[in-house]
Amino acid sequence: MTKRISKFKRFVMMNPIIQFFKFIFLSLKVLLIVAGGHGSTREVHK
Amino acid sequence: MSKIVILGAGISGHVAASHLRRKLDKTHEVVVVSPNSNYQWIPSNIWVGIGRMKSKEILFPLAPLYKKKGIGFKQAKVTSFYPEGDNETEKPFVVAEYVSTEKRGETERITYDYLINATGPKLNFEATEGLNPGTNKAYSVCTYTHADHANEGLRALIAEMKKGNEAKIVIGTGHAKATCQGAAFEYILNVEQELRRQKVRDKAKITWISNEYELGDFGMDGMLLSYGSNIMKSHEMVEMVFEDRGIDWILGAGVNKIEDGLAHYETLNGEHKTIDYDFAMLIPSFSGHGFKAFDKNNNDITDKLFKGFMIVDADYTPKPYEDWTVQDWPETYQNPSYKNIFAPGIAFAPPHSISKPRKSPNGTEIFPSPPRTGMPSGITAKLVADNIIDSIKNKKESLHHKGSMGNMGAACIASAGFGMTKGSGVSITTFPIVPDYKKYPDTMGRKLGKTFGEIGLAGHWLKLMLHYAFIYKAKMKPFWYLIPE
Ligand SMILES: Cc1cc2nc3c(=O)[nH]c(=O)nc-3n(C[C@H](O)[C@H](O)[C@H](O)COP(=O)(O)OP(=O)(O)OC[C@H]3O[C@@H](n4cnc5c(N)ncnc54)[C@H](O)[C@@H]3O)c2cc1C
Repeated sequence: MTKRISKFKRFVMMNPIIQFFKFIFLSLKVLLIVAGGHGSTREVHK
Repeated sequence: MSKIVILGAGISGHVAASHLRRKLDKTHEVVVVSPNSNYQWIPSNIWVGIGRMKSKEILFPLAPLYKKKGIGFKQAKVTSFYPEGDNETEKPFVVAEYVSTEKRGETERITYDYLINATGPKLNFEATEGLNPGTNKAYSVCTYTHADHANEGLRALIAEMKKGNEAKIVIGTGHAKATCQGAAFEYILNVEQELRRQKVRDKAKITWISNEYELGDFGMDGMLLSYGSNIMKSHEMVEMVFEDRGIDWILGAGVNKIEDGLAHYETLNGEHKTIDYDFAMLIPSFSGHGFKAFDKNNNDITDKLFKGFMIVDADYTPKPYEDWTVQDWPETYQNPSYKNIFAPGIAFAPPHSISKPRKSPNGTEIFPSPPRTGMPSGITAKLVADNIIDSIKNKKESLHHKGSMGNMGAACIASAGFGMTKGSGVSITTFPIVPDYKKYPDTMGRKLGKTFGEIGLAGHWLKLMLHYAFIYKAKMKPFWYLIPE
């Protein structure tokens, strides 16, 4: 096992309060990417 | 009145059926043909496979829901397609064989006006000698029954480790051209965390084995992503996670034979090697179902409909990897020969590989096939349903809804461990799924910002929330349609 994640980083990753805000941020970001739409590629490049 | 027949009740078939039923009045018939009696939320099989969820939490029976919603349901598997009908039946039809206990073995010709082939992949275990879930100490988590077996195997192993025995665990892909590395990635991290929870982690050597050339390829040629204020490649991120968790890896490995506790594989440099294990979970290759198709004179026209998977509006012209473009990817999932047949989700034949094709000196192709995850499966199913609805309502073909995987984002919230306070997730989003190297030449074909990674507890909560949200949606509870695919 090689320590690749620092103590501080691990604290941020696992702290429920910080992660709660991350959760809201992630949910919105994922929603925006999905709801951001999809479409053709052929028309765009015509 | 139109009759829409949907083959398969997985993510894409069920999404298509539920939108069609909601938006079309009851003069139109919506019929689902699928061998499974249950709907299963496949992504949560990872947690079933480590015993942190019961399989009954990820499934529900389809027949009562379909009855309540006015969707016809035939628990049967389709075997052949007659898109022109034949001299007995004028309308196009499929032949299905019932698997339900009451009608087992009976066949029926099911006619249609529109056909949605959402049969996903065949889990092609036979393509790897000796790979058969639950035998040779090798398991799968591709279905809930497989995941239950995997959990039993893992429990037995943990019991042995608690007695002080050491164990070797191998998780990854079980074929040189397998896809769905994401599922194996989730499983290896969940197993690792479960071993820590059971306080036996020090007794296990865990190895990732995969047909990927680099870690984090995921069949998508890897990706460049933003991670906090950094920009990193997906292989760097996965390498960081694996090293941190003490997981070793073998790459460019085409597993070709499984014996009791022994996996044989060929490497990209042509060597034939083996790795022994006490527990393995290996994703099989995915293939088409081997359907046959016939014209009205009973001539075999399988080639018009299938190229392994179903042929759709993609550009299948063979060309070198360097020459393919994002425009080759389908947008409406309509079969070019029979315009009333569509294939969303995994059922359509991809035009080419996304990962760079690689061969060993012995000529064995060793690289991941292109994945199609849950989100694009749902999105493509909905757009197919919307085009059919428009065509029925406008009384002429309408293909306004388009969604190329080259212009569509996907979120892969990979579980990295279960638990409300100890869980973790590696959340990766990509836009677009198929890289567009012309549009995003400096960022490996993807839009940075929309392609990002995050690691932490929030990822686990998100994955759990998606589990409940998608099961709610699949059960068609009030306002289900507001939850996006
Ligand atoms: C373990 C695992 C974890 C995953 N995790 C994620 C994740 O976290 N996120 C994500 O986005 N994706 C994930 N995926 C991928 C996702 O599950 C698939 O993309 C999705 O299920 C594809 O949907 P589909 O409807 O095309 O195919 P399927 O879900 O496979 O559905 C196919 C349907 O067709 C039916 N069928 C089969 N043969 C016939 C026949 N002859 N006649 C009629 N019907 C037939 C089947 O019974 C089934 O109902 C995961 C996959 C696995 C295996």
